[in-house]
Amino acid sequence: MNMKLVGGAALGLATVLVLSSCGGSGGSGGDTPAAGDGAVTLKMVAADYGDGPGKPNSGETFWKGVVDEFQAANPTIKVDVQVINWNDIDKQVATMIQNGQAPDILQTGDYSGFVQDGLLHKVDEVLSPNVSGDLLQKFADFGKVDGTAYGIPFVSSARALFYNKDLFSKAGIAEPPKTWDELKAAAQKLKDAGVTQPFGLPLGQEEAQGESFLWMLGNGGGYKDASGKWAINSPQNVETFTYLKGLVDAGLTTPNPGTKDRKTVWEDFGAGKVGMVNGGPMSIPIFDAAGLKNYGIVPIPGKTGPLDTTLGVMDWIMAFNQNGHAAEIKKFFDFFYTGDAAQKISDTYKLLPVTNGGIEKLSGDEKLKPFLDALPNASFYPFQDPAWTSVSQSVKQTVGGAVEDDPAAVLGELQKTAESAAS
Amino acid sequence: MRRLRALEPLAWVGPAIVLIAVVVIWPVIEMVRSSFLEISRFGVVRGWAGFANYDELFAEKDFADIMVRSVIWVVAVVVLTVVISLALAQLFNQRFPLRKVARWALIAPWAASVLMTAIIFKWMLDPEVGVINQIRLKLGLIDAMGGAAADQLGNASTAMPWLVFVAVFVSVPFTTYALLAGLATIPGDVYEAARMDGAGRFRTYWSITLPLLRPALTVAALINIMNVFNSFPIIWAMTHGQPGYSTATSTIFMYILKGSDIGESAAMSVINFGMVIVLTVIFLRVSRWNKEVA
Repeated sequence: MNMKLVGGAALGLATVLVLSSCGGSGGSGGDTPAAGDGAVTLKMVAADYGDGPGKPNSGETFWKGVVDEFQAANPTIKVDVQVINWNDIDKQVATMIQNGQAPDILQTGDYSGFVQDGLLHKVDEVLSPNVSGDLLQKFADFGKVDGTAYGIPFVSSARALFYNKDLFSKAGIAEPPKTWDELKAAAQKLKDAGVTQPFGLPLGQEEAQGESFLWMLGNGGGYKDASGKWAINSPQNVETFTYLKGLVDAGLTTPNPGTKDRKTVWEDFGAGKVGMVNGGPMSIPIFDAAGLKNYGIVPIPGKTGPLDTTLGVMDWIMAFNQNGHAAEIKKFFDFFYTGDAAQKISDTYKLLPVTNGGIEKLSGDEKLKPFLDALPNASFYPFQDPAWTSVSQSVKQTVGGAVEDDPAAVLGELQKTAESAAS
Repeated sequence: MRRLRALEPLAWVGPAIVLIAVVVIWPVIEMVRSSFLEISRFGVVRGWAGFANYDELFAEKDFADIMVRSVIWVVAVVVLTVVISLALAQLFNQRFPLRKVARWALIAPWAASVLMTAIIFKWMLDPEVGVINQIRLKLGLIDAMGGAAADQLGNASTAMPWLVFVAVFVSVPFTTYALLAGLATIPGDVYEAARMDGAGRFRTYWSITLPLLRPALTVAALINIMNVFNSFPIIWAMTHGQPGYSTATSTIFMYILKGSDIGESAAMSVINFGMVIVLTVIFLRVSRWNKEVA
């Protein structure tokens, strides 16, 4: 009986092996198209902002449109785009690099990891000065490591406070809150009017590092202090989380915020069960899909007044230097930033442009306006710091404890994580 | 010629040996090796780390809690699964109308993807709209939807029992079928003899059924121990190990670590691997698996 078991298991494993090896070769096949007549093929890898392959807003469809136009204008350059979803892109790109098959162009969420190993072209080698000059200065600065630019901002996003106007009028609240005190008072009124989650507070795995940062900004805090040192347990941040703990204890937020994902809370807001929530342009389609019409968007309340900054999130595009295609890459980048491709991204995915020109073009959009206004003065995660990845992981897992237990202790533990990861 | 004959067995066991070497032994060696390396987030090996990954792992504030919780998790799920399955196997071994339908129905939780089952339970426990909370509301167990009382997965003390429940739910079918097969091998004349000797129902079960069921029981429990210890989808889908790490087992912790430090994550895997072996050895000792039935 034992032998049979082993035999069966062996057969099963063999099947798995065969199947997985098929899967492996499928991905790498056909990435070396013959480029005759002196034509150059650029290999590009991009993240998918849409709902995946086959959907009308898929990355494949979007990039095909861009590339067709580019190839019509530049017949000697072919661009071969491989679109990969966000969950897998880091791992697959790492595999490509390890196998010596780095792409020419990569569009994803981070660039700094590649700089250490000297894999990237400098920005001025692959982008014309008139294009790089049009990039929002503050954004472009984040593309620099030790003063040299390697990452080119691709798209961005910002945050603001969404509030449900129907629930507000039902609770008799005239105006959306501007300060923490007003926010607490409004939440109390919403609760009295029977709203189960007056303030949607997702401090769970999905995006706790973003929600936390928005609150820290409201009290002049942040992950780092002005001198660039980690300051997660600064007095301001402890005060911030003590205030939040007060909201949680009074039952004015999502219950057990440390276990709630942003997606769930946004869906609850869309379903009309949440009074206020921090969101971004990308949450608009979610609320629309849930059928919520009557909501307003205002700057996020801070301790003494609305935030004059907000969390900015940026994705990047970069050029790898292994294949020596700088001139062709430059043509493609210039084409991308000067054409209407950037605007198409904003229209399709509600992501925000990163150039002054792009922002001007969108300024007529009523719903996007609060975000566009906030962009030039946005604050960012300290993602140039190599320790940020592990800090962010720990924050996602444990920061919810700061509104349940002792804020100072939980933030102190995170500070220790940051300091030890930095050394 | 004779020498060739001596080599013949190798031709038969050779493929199996190669397979085991490639899919079992090699990954184990790689795992142990990785735990001594410093590896970047992009998978680039930065060099030898010595015991640094282990030092970091043991210094994690939640490490001890997580290990203790993992053992409790395994013991709770396996004991409950086996006890419930023993009763179910007994029931399904009786003749009753629609037995075939009932037996088929039992397969459902086993056939369904564990991840799907876990996600469905998470939805049913949703504090705003979950059906389990709707029922609790109707029964007057909670005052309103959406509050902390309705959010059972948000709190370790109420989330843990639910996680155990779902793990038992998906483990029971396999265990029941393994035990049913065991029951089918017990010859009827043993029971007849017991009846002749005047043994009661309880005595018969205790002195005949259970001892003769031991081989099936041992295999079923052993497979469950390893499965449950390495169980990932249920906890990940339902709580992510949150709040904090308070519902995380060592397997979940290993996965979380992988996002920031692959070396430390490998160290956790090695500890995990050792734990499974230790638990298995303890279990085999306790169950005296290789002793013949008297």
